[in-house]
Amino acid sequence: MEEKLVTLAHGAGGKQTAELIDSIFKSNFKSKNLTADDAAILNPPIGKMAFTTDGFIVSPFKFPGGNIGKLSICGTVNDLSCMGAKPMYLTVAFVIEEGFPLKDLEEIAQAMAKTADEAGVEIVAGDTKVAGKGQVDGVFITTTGVGQIMEGVDLSGAKAKDGDAIITTGDIGRHGCAILLSRDSYGLTADVKSDCAPLWNTIKSVLDTTKDIHVIRDATRGGVGTVLYEIAEQSQVGIHLDYAAIPVDDAVKGVCGMLGLDPLYLACEGTMVIFAPNDKAQAIVKTLNKGKYSKKAAIIGHVTNDMIAHVVVKTEIGTETLLPAPSGELLPRIC
Amino acid sequence: MLSKDIEKAKSIIMNYDGPPIKIMEVCGTHTHEIFKLGIRNILPNNINLISGPGCPVCVTPTEFIDEAIYLALEKNITICTFGDLIRVPGTSSSLGDARSKGANIQMVYSPLDSVEYAINHPEQQVVFLSVGFETTTPASCIAVRNAKNIELKNFSILGANKTMYQAYLALKDAADAYIYPGHVCTMTGMSELYKLRDEENVSGAVTGFSASEILSSLAYIISETQKNKPFVANLYPRVVTEEGLIKAKTLVENTMESCDSIWRGLGIIEKSGMKLKKEYIDYDARAKYDIPKIVGKPNKGCKCGEVLRGDIKPFECPLFSKGCTPEHPIGACMVSNEGACSAYYKYGENLWKKN
Repeated sequence: MEEKLVTLAHGAGGKQTAELIDSIFKSNFKSKNLTADDAAILNPPIGKMAFTTDGFIVSPFKFPGGNIGKLSICGTVNDLSCMGAKPMYLTVAFVIEEGFPLKDLEEIAQAMAKTADEAGVEIVAGDTKVAGKGQVDGVFITTTGVGQIMEGVDLSGAKAKDGDAIITTGDIGRHGCAILLSRDSYGLTADVKSDCAPLWNTIKSVLDTTKDIHVIRDATRGGVGTVLYEIAEQSQVGIHLDYAAIPVDDAVKGVCGMLGLDPLYLACEGTMVIFAPNDKAQAIVKTLNKGKYSKKAAIIGHVTNDMIAHVVVKTEIGTETLLPAPSGELLPRIC
Repeated sequence: MLSKDIEKAKSIIMNYDGPPIKIMEVCGTHTHEIFKLGIRNILPNNINLISGPGCPVCVTPTEFIDEAIYLALEKNITICTFGDLIRVPGTSSSLGDARSKGANIQMVYSPLDSVEYAINHPEQQVVFLSVGFETTTPASCIAVRNAKNIELKNFSILGANKTMYQAYLALKDAADAYIYPGHVCTMTGMSELYKLRDEENVSGAVTGFSASEILSSLAYIISETQKNKPFVANLYPRVVTEEGLIKAKTLVENTMESCDSIWRGLGIIEKSGMKLKKEYIDYDARAKYDIPKIVGKPNKGCKCGEVLRGDIKPFECPLFSKGCTPEHPIGACMVSNEGACSAYYKYGENLWKKN
């Protein structure tokens, strides 16, 4: 049987467009608020609201541990979660390349529906465009999200303080490593799955434990190392890491060793960095260790008033050295 | 918990209180690892660790980049190269600049990838930039031999391959002892180093790249230097043998011959280079394309030469972090991850200075 492909007619707004939307998107996105009109009519959040948008162009669109659909939901859900906001509504916009297989699009839509469902967020509006062959690579997705900020939560990258403990919610660098391996440009194979996951429930469990948290940030592009440098700069503090305490999967370690990469600079899509007062840190880690996506959570370092705007690492031989600051040589098109 | 080896080596290093010792780590990978492990931050003041010329990108002279840019822009030739070289400044621009002017510059991980590229693009003429020491030269030889075997007509190499022995001789007064490059010695074996010890009174230790190997070699050198007698030790015996890799050495001997070579900062060193033998001359880009004689002019303020000879520390160069940074390198030592300037910059050596 011949494979069914997306054609320019699917994007022309006529009958084929309606068919594509009905068969692929509506059949998967089952929110009661999903609109057939020009805009969704919704109840507003109570109190403060968080609002964010993100574009996804990952290559390849399918990778061990997920695909661009799952990633596009996790990305926006996690951006909202980082601000202490319960994700409520999402919109999704597709730009699809002419000739993209319908069954792949179906797989992407299924992953989106499943992930949105897990995160407790509704997809309420969408848009579909088809671009000519070669004008985009496969499929690009943009998601926009609204969330309701939990009461009593006040998070910002500028709020890290001397004495804070630094926690990662899981092992680091798996997404970047999985994408790198799936590009096959190094002739390496290893069993590494992307950590791509929706983290609202993870973050909620932390905020239910204590609201006394200063910073939560998603360690996506640039990885944990880049995030730490951003926060050290934003909060004007020094960061000291204990290299041996940072959770890294053995296969990721092996790949990094071979290619001369530091897992601290590989992207995560299901791992956050949390800054909280030291006396709350153990309770937070204990909560996280019970969670579905945060079993490997650990305290990886602390904040000081020296070495302002720098990240210092305690090495395997007990010395201290600077973590080299991020520079422009990171892998392109990872999210 | 640190292992006993590491504790013991650290204690020898940190407690050294004898006369000043200058130690040169020749290899760029050692330079990088020493920074990454924070070893410089535990050295007492009387141990001066200097970074030597063992980074192929750093010793590549300006005119080599100029030649490659000439081929790419004037002769419309596809250049295949290791990634680091793309950003090294030539006299007036880099290969990266040439790429933005339309030159076809392909990044490869191995010389064999560039042969593959030439096979797949028969409409293009392809030149591989063959830089490196004993460790990378055999792969260039295999690439040329493979190309000749299939009579590939659109592939050649622009050679700047170098051998370390003559560089050791040129630098023999730069330090009291040397940490020899473990990977180069894997190829060459130990005989050259015995010769240096016996004929030139040059001391040193071959070592690997783990924390315990690097620390042990430092501790060993510190202890031996105090005996005032030239020494050589192989502290990397799990990899380095007395005779080296004979198969690789024979391959190179049968494909290339020695020639004079220009080292950035060190000038021309006699018989320190390798070029293709006559029977492979069709694969030598200099012979094939009649490249005019180019005299490179490095940036006048750049002190890469003094850095490579160990005469100054990178932060003593007036351009260091003022105009010359890893993002915008002026000198080659700031380009490569293994370059001394790049390592000093990235690991914030000036932040740690106690005084």
